[in-house]
Amino acid sequence: MNKIMYLEFERCIGCRACQAACRECGDHDAKERNYVEYVDFTESRQTFPMLCMQCKDPACARVCPANAIQITDEGVVLSAMEEKCIGCRNCTFGCPFGIPKFDFEKNKMYKCDMCYDRTRDDIAPMCASVCPSDAIRFIDFDEMQQLRRRRTQMNLVEGKKPQEGNKWDYVPEFFGVYTDSQS
Amino acid sequence: MSQFLVKEGVKNQIRKGEKLVTTHCCYCGMQCGMHIRVNEKTNKVVGVEPRYDWVLTRGKMCPKGVTAYQTVDHPDRIKRPLIKKNGKFVESSWEEALDLIERKFKDLQSNYGKDSLSVYGGVSMTNEKCYLVGKYARVGLGTRYLDYNGRYCMSSAAGGFNKTLGMDRGSTLPWTELEHTDCFFMAGSNTAECHPTSIQWFWRAKDKGAKIIVADPRETATARVADVHLDLLPGTDSALANGIMHLLIKHDYVDNEYVQERCNNFAELKEMTAKFTPEYTSKITGITVEKIVKAAHIFGKSPRSVVMFARGAEQQTAGVDNVSLYTSMALLRGQIGKFASGVATFTGQGNGQGGREHGQKSDLLPGYRKLTDPKAVEYISGVWGINPEDMPKPGVSAYEMFDLMLNKTIRGLHVICSNPVVSSPNINHVYKAMETLDFLVVSDFFLSETAELADVVLPATTWAEDEGTTTNIEGRVIHIRKVVEPLGESKPDWQIMSMIAERMGKGKHFQYNEPREIFDELRLASKGGKADYFGVTYEKIDEQDGVFWPAPAEDHPGSPSVFKEKFATEDGRANLAVCDWKGPAEVKSKDYPLWLTTGRVVFHYLSGNQTRRVGFLMEQCPEPFVEMHPELASQYQVENGENVKLVTARGDMIVPVKITKAIRKDVLFVPYHWGKQQAVNQLTSPALDPTSRMPEFKVCAVKLEKLTK
Repeated sequence: MNKIMYLEFERCIGCRACQAACRECGDHDAKERNYVEYVDFTESRQTFPMLCMQCKDPACARVCPANAIQITDEGVVLSAMEEKCIGCRNCTFGCPFGIPKFDFEKNKMYKCDMCYDRTRDDIAPMCASVCPSDAIRFIDFDEMQQLRRRRTQMNLVEGKKPQEGNKWDYVPEFFGVYTDSQS
Repeated sequence: MSQFLVKEGVKNQIRKGEKLVTTHCCYCGMQCGMHIRVNEKTNKVVGVEPRYDWVLTRGKMCPKGVTAYQTVDHPDRIKRPLIKKNGKFVESSWEEALDLIERKFKDLQSNYGKDSLSVYGGVSMTNEKCYLVGKYARVGLGTRYLDYNGRYCMSSAAGGFNKTLGMDRGSTLPWTELEHTDCFFMAGSNTAECHPTSIQWFWRAKDKGAKIIVADPRETATARVADVHLDLLPGTDSALANGIMHLLIKHDYVDNEYVQERCNNFAELKEMTAKFTPEYTSKITGITVEKIVKAAHIFGKSPRSVVMFARGAEQQTAGVDNVSLYTSMALLRGQIGKFASGVATFTGQGNGQGGREHGQKSDLLPGYRKLTDPKAVEYISGVWGINPEDMPKPGVSAYEMFDLMLNKTIRGLHVICSNPVVSSPNINHVYKAMETLDFLVVSDFFLSETAELADVVLPATTWAEDEGTTTNIEGRVIHIRKVVEPLGESKPDWQIMSMIAERMGKGKHFQYNEPREIFDELRLASKGGKADYFGVTYEKIDEQDGVFWPAPAEDHPGSPSVFKEKFATEDGRANLAVCDWKGPAEVKSKDYPLWLTTGRVVFHYLSGNQTRRVGFLMEQCPEPFVEMHPELASQYQVENGENVKLVTARGDMIVPVKITKAIRKDVLFVPYHWGKQQAVNQLTSPALDPTSRMPEFKVCAVKLEKLTK
């Protein structure tokens, strides 16, 4: 798997197609594992999607006392293995992004696995496939680098800077996967 | 079973024991491409797979699209005909239901004349079915009273386009060109929620530096990122358009050569817009002068621009004026008929485009022919095999039909693919009218609020159980494939109409074995008309990713862009609109001091009869709400989530409050997807546009009452 999940929060239109689509993935048991939130609905309609970051050294796996959270060769952090998970919910507390969810009926955790049954064959995960605004993309590394460079470049073009009361400021900076200086 | 295909070179996940059937979504005019997953053993629909290769939407879907398949095998489906006996629905056989319909229809017609029956159609179904609704009413039942829910949806756009451009194709350009556009002027369209998959094109253009100007009382997702958000008062679009044109003329942004060569009425337009100075426009619209001036400069400077609008501008008593004026903005800039520029309306219903072209409207015949034109009547009578004298005369518009029910002119009604007691304005009146009917038949696949009132409910099929074509938002005719066999005893609408026609003794005009035969008849019926489908075939659609009408000959590839050389008016020149601002039919007063406007949310479609039954969508948006500005909420001392009462001259409703600064301080917004006590259409105004007869859903005066605890 040579693809990258690339998020651009300000493209998000809050339609939650990614969540509906997440339920459609084969291994997902009709439960969504991603999030779409309003930054602050009272202020603006800006929403943002939130997915598992697939950390290199994932806190969820590290705090699991049962070693139930496996990481694939490609680096995808999977949901807890059913036979190993003891339902302690350590992972849901450990994750700095609040990603893992807990199924109280089955007494086990579940989380985004990047639609592993699709992505291992280089087919885009369901969320990135359907996202109407390209807020979530599943793209090549080179394309990702190009997009990042373009963000900075576009800031040089007249009119691309946020205007009309700096509405883009509602996207908190610490969520930014991109690096540019919007001053 | 129709052909199944997944394009070569496109990787899709195909699971063991499943096959993919390539089709399109059943909901809005975007008609997003999708594959439906079918279990090969059980032949049941099990899910959805993105269709990455569909040229317009590239695999993308909104939450309605993703969950659309869930309506096919839904437990609420009506599987057998239902007859109301002693106030309760009882399942019956088709034979019994048809017997009853035949008896009642014949009784009514022999006692009260042919026109005592009526048909109310819809455009969330294929061209084949929409075409047949017209023929069914006029030939099968022989009644003049026929109209459809597109009256509430597209009629003002149609009226405006016909007036200015001479032809009503929703978009003058293919939307795949939109990424090359430099400026979008969008009025009255919450496109991020109503047509979510169109956003990819706007964002892609924006990535390249395109400007976006949005006119909307609410700060929608598009307005939020727009270069200028023109936060106008509901019902003031014609003032805004005139104001922008005033500035285009003043600052010399007019494409004089184009206007001189291709447009009429420029002098009159100049005269009319003279008084719409930014100050005057600002006073009417409530938009600051600076924003109006900024928008005019951005729009005027852009080499390639597209003016777009939707129900916000159209569902007004000045709907046709608004459309004509916005279209004139594009004409002044010399944009229509050129690459990546032009004018477009956002088609709300799946087949809002195709469904309005082929004779479901009270005064239209297939191919956009006029019922008042004797030549058209003669031609269509020939295609239908009837005597031209037997062709019924034009009837009345959708909302006006209810008045005729109340005064007993109309005594029987067949509703096909629509839910008028939720989607009409002033539904308290509509309920009364429907209850006055002697006999009501409803074809639907879920028991809608309208179906609940019926004497007979006939089980129709979903979109996945029948083949056909629809015409999308661009004017591109596309192919809907049959995915599975109809559930239970349900039948496609074309079969239902043919069976009733047969019972009415008109069976010889309705001999169809499959939709393709109806389409071939439609091709012939539309031949030579403005919406000419003669050159469209199922094969050609599959070969070239859809066919844009007009396609007047069998070897014609279709017309992605229209009006390249001339317009479809009689003299080939566009008619610039010369319209003053008239103001909405109802204005706010001491008793009703606020403005109310309505619209959609991304999770629901039209009257919600389908989407209110889908788990994911109901979890996201289970009930209506009223959006208001915190300043207004503070004045009425209401909190977020608190129930309030909204009252207009026509009705009232209780609804929870949602507070946001993303709306004007003097406007309330309520989505319309719910029925009965939850229906905002209890409140809306039934004032009609004089030309299009479209009701003014988007503007009425309202009173907000805090409930005592």
